[in-house]
Amino acid sequence: MTEPILSVEGLSVDYVVGAGTFRALRDVSFEMLPGQVVGFVGETGCGKSTLAHSIPRLLPEPPAEVRAGKVLFQGVDLLEVPKWRMPYVRGTGIGMIFQEPINSLNPAFRIYTQIAEAVRVRRLRETGRAPSFHPDIEPFDYSKPAPVRTGDAMAHAFLPTVPESMKNAPPELTSVAKAALRAEVLDYLRLVRINDPETILNLYPHELSGGMRQRIMIATALSAKPSLLIADEPTSALDVTIQAQVLTLMKELMDEVQTSILFISHDLGVIAEIADHVGVMYAGHLVEFGPVGDVFERPRHPYTKALLRSIPSRYQDDGPLPTLAGSVPNLSHLPDGCAFAPRCPIAKELCLVEPGPALATPYANPPQRVNSSACYFPLEAEGLP
Amino acid sequence: MMTEPPLLETRDLVKHFPLNRSVAEMFRGAAPRAIHAVDGVSVSVRPRETLGLIGESGSGKTTLGWLVSRLYPPTSGRILFEGQDITDLRGRALRTWHRNAQMVFQDPLGSLDPRLRVWELVGEPMRSQEGLGRNALRDRVAELLPTVGLPPECVDQYPHEFSGGGRQRLSLARALSVHPKLIVLDEPTSALDVAVQAQILNRLVSLQREQSLAYLLITHNVAAVRYASHRVAVMYLGEIVEVGPVRDVLEHPVHPYTKALLAAVPVPNPQRRRARYRITGEIPTLVTPPPGCRFAPRCPFVIERCRVEPPPLREAPGRPGRRVSCHRAEEVGDIPAETLMASLPVARASGPPKAPLAPAPS
Repeated sequence: MTEPILSVEGLSVDYVVGAGTFRALRDVSFEMLPGQVVGFVGETGCGKSTLAHSIPRLLPEPPAEVRAGKVLFQGVDLLEVPKWRMPYVRGTGIGMIFQEPINSLNPAFRIYTQIAEAVRVRRLRETGRAPSFHPDIEPFDYSKPAPVRTGDAMAHAFLPTVPESMKNAPPELTSVAKAALRAEVLDYLRLVRINDPETILNLYPHELSGGMRQRIMIATALSAKPSLLIADEPTSALDVTIQAQVLTLMKELMDEVQTSILFISHDLGVIAEIADHVGVMYAGHLVEFGPVGDVFERPRHPYTKALLRSIPSRYQDDGPLPTLAGSVPNLSHLPDGCAFAPRCPIAKELCLVEPGPALATPYANPPQRVNSSACYFPLEAEGLP
Repeated sequence: MMTEPPLLETRDLVKHFPLNRSVAEMFRGAAPRAIHAVDGVSVSVRPRETLGLIGESGSGKTTLGWLVSRLYPPTSGRILFEGQDITDLRGRALRTWHRNAQMVFQDPLGSLDPRLRVWELVGEPMRSQEGLGRNALRDRVAELLPTVGLPPECVDQYPHEFSGGGRQRLSLARALSVHPKLIVLDEPTSALDVAVQAQILNRLVSLQREQSLAYLLITHNVAAVRYASHRVAVMYLGEIVEVGPVRDVLEHPVHPYTKALLAAVPVPNPQRRRARYRITGEIPTLVTPPPGCRFAPRCPFVIERCRVEPPPLREAPGRPGRRVSCHRAEEVGDIPAETLMASLPVARASGPPKAPLAPAPS
């Protein structure tokens, strides 16, 4: 029985702002195994980005407040880890790719510098010269100053004290080491299928196209060898042919790199393309979770059903598109019962009073055979047109 | 419908955006350079018809929309509306003509002034065209809002109080207010969630039937075009590469680019995860477009002729009402995108195949 790499238990996050408390995440639980791709879909404001940001604790606090829950990453509850230690988890532990690559790349540095930084931090961590969360490495003794002999800004920026050894640090990289670093950066560029990587290395982010930048982001994230990669809408800003290239690349990389991917998208097509397991979110609740084939073919929650039905897939002479009546509830005034009940075609008395049931088996461990749904009447939902 | 004269017609419409020359270029006497955004486009929209215009970003589809709405002056070419040349309309004549063609812009919040109330926003074309006063305007806007599915009570609200779908409905109401014959819809659903998108598309179609509207639907969303359009035109790098009836084009694409574009659309069906018919490489620059066919650098069927001679937009062999610009239309027309994939090499770390790859014509 494989240990899950990530298990989120009962996570609830609120945004407290002047206008009130917005319940962005409510009691979200799921697990993912090493090597799995877990996708999350939902409409704008359903909490999928909040979920993605709350795992590596990148939520702005305030206004965000984690109310309850656990985020167990390789057995460690990240919500218990002191904030100043979180940078050691990010990068080699949890890598992230965001929607707009241009916002994640530093416009003032060449592509080489940005990838090399990630590679160097990883190497420092692997050799025990910088604190790390990596499971293969001995736990780092945080009580002592780090024995870092390098001038690596990234590794030092988060240390509580500046160690003696850092002052008058000798020039760190020999020409041999520099060549090795460069070769490794080139390898990562080739990994993401960039033609002519020698030229690309010396360019600045603005000189590249959107698809190219996103591939640089993927290379940067992968070069830190994260155990978990969180991809928040990584292809939404790209054109459809470029999106197809990036998705194909990510699928191929799954075989070459040992990484689990948590993939967020609003596009059901993209999720169907890449994910093994899929979670459907609505108004901060995880309403359905299961293997991608089951969820798409036999959805057991009326919202999943409605979402799938509303994808325009017909011609005009085939009749009007099926739509979902009503609109997404305001997260500051969620209904008492199931959040979807006011729009649900099969809502009963019970649904308006009681919140939806917890997902029966929101776990991939043991590998789950069927999808579980936060609906009291999953079989009825399955029978909906 | 087929015999009616077109409502809108463009003839060899060209729009170049000149680039500033650097000082060095001026001294060298280099020729002025320009972005060839739209390069010789001839399309027509018939009355009560939706022409879908699909293409990737940078293909010039939005520029074409702005040109036919007379928001940009064209570099060359003619625009005809109901048979009349409107290319050179100016001043009062242009403003009067504008009641015939309205536009719904891509960014619903960016195109709605945040400091204006709904009745001012939506009523602006009516005020401009009909000179209505404040009270008359409010009443007219309140009457108009239900046609786009908004309650009449919201005339005094501000645009930020609406959701994305609501804002798009406001833009639509503003366009409808002067009873135009043509509405240019620039990405009307791309900022919306899938459930809201279906509502807006249904509304667009029912409004078209009720008010005899013609639409030019500009989008990169193939699903939206499939549902809302009668005919579809595919744009690539400022040129139309294929145009024809929507069902025909989407089910039997002839041009290699159309095939690639359609194959790249993710299908929400996990059973259909396919090895893709992929096009390698990125969209070339519009400053110096390739001399021959503009798709040649990415095309899997490229032959030498494609690189030197630009293909004309001509009748597709054996497909009435379809025009396509491909030298090899006869040979590639019947190859479905799916069967191709196996024969295509995968772009690996070594880069795309150097040799032109042309499956033997059967």
